[in-house]
Amino acid sequence: MDDLNTAIPYVDLSAQWSECESGLLPVMLDVLRGGVYINGESVEGFEKRAARYLGIEHCVALNSGTDALVCALLAVGVRAGTEVITTANSFVASTAAICHLGAVPVFVDVLDDQGMDPDKIAPAITQKTSAVMPVHLTGKVCQMDRIMDICSDAGLPVVEDAAQCIGAKFGGKFGGTIGDIGCFSAHPLKNLNALGDSGFLVTRNPDYAVKIEAMRNHGLIDRNTVENFGYVSRMDVLQAAILSWKIDNQLGLVNERRRSNATYYTDNLTSAIQKPYESEDDWAVYHTYVIQTDKRDALKYYLDSKLIGSAIHYPIPIHHQPAYINKFGPYDRFQLTNTERQADQILSLPVHQNLKPDQLARVCAVVNDFFDSDQ
Amino acid sequence: MHVRYSYLPQQFESCDDLWAELREFVKTGDFTLGRPLVEFERRFASLIGTKHAVGVNSGTDAIKLSLKSLGVGFGDEVITAANTFVATVGAIAELGATPVFVDCDDSFCMDVGQVEEKIGPKTKAIVPVHFTGYMTDMTGLKPLAQKHRLPIVEDACQSILGEFDGQKAGSIGDTGCFSLHPLKNLNVWADGGVITTNDDAIAKDLMLLRNHGLVNRDEVEILGYNSRLDTIQAVVGNWLIPSAVDISNKRIENAGYLDRGLRGVQGVTIPPRLDRCRMVFHLYMFFAERRDELLSYLIGRGVEAKVHYPIPIYRQRALSHLGYAEGDFPVTDRHAKSVLSLPCDQHLSDDEMDYMIETVRSFYG
Repeated sequence: MDDLNTAIPYVDLSAQWSECESGLLPVMLDVLRGGVYINGESVEGFEKRAARYLGIEHCVALNSGTDALVCALLAVGVRAGTEVITTANSFVASTAAICHLGAVPVFVDVLDDQGMDPDKIAPAITQKTSAVMPVHLTGKVCQMDRIMDICSDAGLPVVEDAAQCIGAKFGGKFGGTIGDIGCFSAHPLKNLNALGDSGFLVTRNPDYAVKIEAMRNHGLIDRNTVENFGYVSRMDVLQAAILSWKIDNQLGLVNERRRSNATYYTDNLTSAIQKPYESEDDWAVYHTYVIQTDKRDALKYYLDSKLIGSAIHYPIPIHHQPAYINKFGPYDRFQLTNTERQADQILSLPVHQNLKPDQLARVCAVVNDFFDSDQ
Repeated sequence: MHVRYSYLPQQFESCDDLWAELREFVKTGDFTLGRPLVEFERRFASLIGTKHAVGVNSGTDAIKLSLKSLGVGFGDEVITAANTFVATVGAIAELGATPVFVDCDDSFCMDVGQVEEKIGPKTKAIVPVHFTGYMTDMTGLKPLAQKHRLPIVEDACQSILGEFDGQKAGSIGDTGCFSLHPLKNLNVWADGGVITTNDDAIAKDLMLLRNHGLVNRDEVEILGYNSRLDTIQAVVGNWLIPSAVDISNKRIENAGYLDRGLRGVQGVTIPPRLDRCRMVFHLYMFFAERRDELLSYLIGRGVEAKVHYPIPIYRQRALSHLGYAEGDFPVTDRHAKSVLSLPCDQHLSDDEMDYMIETVRSFYG
């Protein structure tokens, strides 16, 4: 039985490790004994598995999801002085990737589910627009059918920030496989996670794949020739082997359990809050389970006092960050009404795959209790 | 006999104690900027004798983040060596700056006497490369940089524990940049790098730059990068760092052994061994007549010799827009045609070294 005096952590990597330990230790030992720590078979093996899982031709393994975005934007032609249309409620990495290339982020508003509002894209397109980057926040894919229609009409490439949505689908297609390039993170806190930084991207376009393979390795096209300068952004062999094992043994299970936890919450949490929703087209993987309430701060305080972990993803939208304002000044291109409102109302409840039924029940009881006593 | 270039399987042949530590570490879930990383940074700073050490994702990123923290950006010029590995120049180019090259001398490092003529109004920094385990003449370079108020970023990726006039590589410039790549003298099981500095403000900036510019979980002060040294690799680093001095001693000893065997062989020229410099021999390089023939001969007889590097960076296609041509850096050009690298690592046996010496001798017979 869940003890009311024990904490329910927002993340529990130790519990995850206990579950995977017997499978992963031999995998790690193999790599360490092998003596190949950069590139090699483990990395190629991971790329093949990830591509097969997502049903797409090419996967390129990299050092982080952030690097995946930088490489993808560069490959599709984003250059200094151009504009990239994206959303401001993301983790800072998505906008930083745009800025590192000398391009300018143009923020458009989001829908109630925190995904890019397709209706806001066309008015944001200018002569300078070089790409559109929807962010599949929370593990739910944006409305990619409409986004793709608008972008293909405008002749604009689409780079999907799929860092949080491995395994999620929209209209039967995996998030990250619908646009020109899809970028994933395998950071330790993601649904498919390594034991350190790592990321990858997928594409159907072989030219992009070849370009990015050189980019991740100093721009070297062979041991001695540099065609264009690149980066050092290789997935560690150790992490690649771990991720391969997880694709084979864990990923499906992790996503099913997170969905099942989300369903439990949605069925049992009070209707005083706004809960995540799915349309017929959606199959979300709940990297986060985000509720919205105008009593957010009080609720978070109450959860803390009851030892229930929660988090805010993210309390300060990127256009309000000092880093953005210092570089570009106050953002005034478009009204970001939903983005602003959600920043004050969103709260992520624990939804990880190692939660137990009585812990889920306790989270619901505490949240519901807060609103009952509030009335 | 087969003399391999990579010694990694030998290096980690008996590491049960490390494996035990890793098994304990993975249970903690402390994977991102975790405690073992803080410990490694403390020990690394103490090894080099600097106030700070900051773990990053690679030696390349160490250079990039250093230059960024010193304000190098689009349109600036950075003076560096014409014979370096691509990464040094890639880091400069990634910031939108332009590399300005200086030729090297036979110690494989930039000829400090040629630096001043390259300094112009756009120059923002100097990146001396302590190539192959040698060191740049920092005693000559530092006053020059100070005179022109230019910061120095030492590319010490190949020269950990090298010294010039008794001062350690990475402790002399504004920052020192190290690589922990598996084939470096102090290595981990993946890409990794470290920046050393005595400057508190630079250290603080670097900590932000490597972690998305986050001052705390929610606030972004500057736009940074994702360039952290994996904590799991810091566990490996902590295991290896007590051996760092022994590793450098053993390489120096091996280089002496190879020198004695090869000196005087017709067709072989040993580079000058400098009294003022503690050379740590990341690469054991010498100048060879009929180099390409010797290379095939060695490889055909099981010796994994290599060439670092046959095409100098300044002549790579990626820099064709700068308009350099063959002949602009004559020493670098001569090296590209004549250098050859033999294994020199701490795991080589005397038999293997004897075999390499014998094979070179028999080639020139």
